Amino acid sequence: MKTILGGLAVALALGACGAGQTHPNLFATDWEDDGGRSVAAIRAKIGAAAPPVGADVAVAVAGNSDKLVGIPLAGGTAWTFPHAIDVRPAIAGSVVVGEGGGELFCLDAASGKKLWARPAGGMVLHGAGDDGRVTVVSLGQSGQGSLLLAVNRDGSVARQIDTDKSLGVPAVLAGYAFVPWSNQYVSVLDLTSGEEAGRILLRGQVSHAMAVGGALYFGESALFRFDDAIKGASHDQATKLTVPQRELPGTPMLYQPGDQKLSPVAAALDKTRLYARPTSATPIGLDSDRFYGTYFRLAMAFDAKSTKLAWVHSDKDDIVGGAAGPASLVLCDDSGAVTVLDAATGGVERELSLGGPIKSCVVQADGLAPSQPQPPPPLATQISAALTNRDAEMVAGQRLLLREMATLEDPSVTKTLVELASNPLTAPLLLTDARSAIAARRNGAQYMIEALGRHYDFLHDVLLTPPVGPMAQALAAMKNKQAAPLLASHLLDPADTDDDVKQAAAALVDIGDAGQVPQLREFFMLYRAAPDSEDLSSAVTSAGQALLVFGGPDGRKVVDGALADSLVPEALKARLSAIEQQLEAQKGPKAPKK
Amino acid sequence: MEHGKILLVASAGVVAICAALSGSVARAQVARPPSTGAPPGAEAPAGPAAPATPAMKVSAAAAADLKSGDPGKIRGALDEIRMAGKGPGSQYAGAIVELLQRGVPGSVAEAALDTLGDLEAESASPVIAQYMQHRNVKVRQAATKALIKTKGPVAVRALRHALSDQDPMVRGVAANGLGALKAKEAVPDLFLALDHRINEAATSIGMLCNPQECEQLASRIGKFPFDVMSGGIEQALFRPDVSDDSKIKLLGHVRELGTQDANKFLREALKKWPKNGSARVKQSLDQAVQATGGGA
Repeated sequence: MKTILGGLAVALALGACGAGQTHPNLFATDWEDDGGRSVAAIRAKIGAAAPPVGADVAVAVAGNSDKLVGIPLAGGTAWTFPHAIDVRPAIAGSVVVGEGGGELFCLDAASGKKLWARPAGGMVLHGAGDDGRVTVVSLGQSGQGSLLLAVNRDGSVARQIDTDKSLGVPAVLAGYAFVPWSNQYVSVLDLTSGEEAGRILLRGQVSHAMAVGGALYFGESALFRFDDAIKGASHDQATKLTVPQRELPGTPMLYQPGDQKLSPVAAALDKTRLYARPTSATPIGLDSDRFYGTYFRLAMAFDAKSTKLAWVHSDKDDIVGGAAGPASLVLCDDSGAVTVLDAATGGVERELSLGGPIKSCVVQADGLAPSQPQPPPPLATQISAALTNRDAEMVAGQRLLLREMATLEDPSVTKTLVELASNPLTAPLLLTDARSAIAARRNGAQYMIEALGRHYDFLHDVLLTPPVGPMAQALAAMKNKQAAPLLASHLLDPADTDDDVKQAAAALVDIGDAGQVPQLREFFMLYRAAPDSEDLSSAVTSAGQALLVFGGPDGRKVVDGALADSLVPEALKARLSAIEQQLEAQKGPKAPKK
Repeated sequence: MEHGKILLVASAGVVAICAALSGSVARAQVARPPSTGAPPGAEAPAGPAAPATPAMKVSAAAAADLKSGDPGKIRGALDEIRMAGKGPGSQYAGAIVELLQRGVPGSVAEAALDTLGDLEAESASPVIAQYMQHRNVKVRQAATKALIKTKGPVAVRALRHALSDQDPMVRGVAANGLGALKAKEAVPDLFLALDHRINEAATSIGMLCNPQECEQLASRIGKFPFDVMSGGIEQALFRPDVSDDSKIKLLGHVRELGTQDANKFLREALKKWPKNGSARVKQSLDQAVQATGGGA
């Protein structure tokens, strides 16, 4: 009773005189699954009618949340609509619905021209749908139910429905409003009679209804197409598009819950989003075989089948909104830049401006025609550019990209990894990942050798040693003897970590020769009685082994000297002795003297 | 006494660093000759040497102890040799070098390096220089300090390299040491060091600079804290081999500062200006003192 009274109060506040009556059985929870009969009948009535292609536009909240700014994506003049903005606007078909200062308003998406405005009645905009004639708007208020309005182009209310249920983002087609609610239903409301003409029970989270590419879809984390298969929805037989599962930074969502208010100011969730556009084909698929993830300043495209990274776009600023369009991804960043990217390559097709910094952004790209993109650099270069951003908040995204990059055979990847691991500004987590990736590289040796030429040098601002250990592992695996003198020089660099020295010494056993004996001897001398860590002890052992293998009689003498020295720890002696014996055994029994 | 005070300021960095390294002021003073009260750069006055402490003898077992392989015995022998000093201890320099060449634990290496430093044996510089690459920072600090005393081209080369060490104390001691070793060829490195905030470099530059380099040093006045620069300025000001023109230019830069610190420095320099020193420079000092008298 309370809810009904509340609803009535809202209805009065909205001044919805002449609107149709609210049917008492709407959104009933005692509804029984009709096996898709009602929705099949609706589809028959709708026939070939399809949602018109929506406007291609980016709309932003700007200023002090006191104006909307829009720009057609195909090019054209940006428009500004000064108005208090209390929630994120919604683009539906060819209109933009906004709310602020207690008023609900509707603008022409292409021009920003006001079509109508009404009091919001204390309710908050959740979303809108539009079919070119009627705009359906869902509004809600926590604990006070929801209101669904169907408004004609002239601002007259064709239907007003209030309910104690929380309604999601609606769509409209051929006189029917498609209203998601309770996370599982889509009620199909006859806007003429006000009755619930049918209901769809979906086996998946649903809080959004939307028109994409001339078809209706419902969903939130997955999309269900409104086609003939929809009648089997309650048996999980609807045409369903699921975005492939893969690791993404920030656990992005395809859509935020549709029955909640979205702030006019973008938050972290808006910067870590998933974007995908369904195809109209059967079986259903992803447009251009792509899905996309954003992570602050990064936009990544993945192959729909393999889920492998296809390209990465680095923005100068945080990406706060976007949409997957036909063969494109459209992004807007908080500086007000709008970028249209080619879905296949990530090449920039267009760059537009909303005129200045923005608070948030919504984008619709439904019929955007592709244009010739600028050729992007190779993927390794794209990732490299993405990894140079030093913002701490970028690290999770960069770690993912680094792992992706490490799978590429391109030698330039080795160069990027070495640079990352040699840069004191690289975040510690990224540094660890880069070092691991370097150890596994089997190409780009020239970049490693170049890096090994560097040592810590305070006066010349080389404040981080190169990743000697991982490079030693990789170069030893590549049997690169050219690296041996450089690795030997790092044995005597006190700035290198114990682990680096350990790996360098171990590598020298494999790829070293007599040329490195002087450094090996010096290293062995300095630490044979002072192996202060396990790593260092291993390094001394390897140095001893190298001296035995290619140090000649003098090398053997050095090791034997250590074995006889009471200052040398017994554990180290045992290791050296074992190696000596092993090497002796490998030589085989001495030939008898003649 | 005023001379002594000024010298104290000039070599405060040396004393502080060396004291931190050795843990005792007495040992630290070995890094530089104790103050004679003379201005920096001036030759030490001729005269009878300070009464020498009676030389201690090194026990007969010391040589064997050095070769014993027992860290305790080795350290004991090294202590004895140090106590005996340069004269009686010198004969053991070779054995200590051999010890280091064989390889010893870190604490023994420190003691051996300290001892070699006290023995001032240049022949030990090569092996000490090897220990400048040791991973144990205390060993590197001990090696740096020792090289300043063992001297020679090897020491200079190693100290120049040590200006790039990871450890700030090693860098600071090396910067001081290059001044003490009169390593004029290291002045460009010392400027680079000063520009990298190795403050000890300023004093050494002041000790070594040629006219152009002294002018370069002067051009940095105002860019670095005055207490960093004053040591270098003072060194150059009292050096007999620096021309009056260079000194007057230096004073001009100090005068331009116009600060109380600058005025105090100038007043103290004026007080200790040698009676037979340059009248032109003294006049310049006088004028600079007056000009900075109302400094903030």
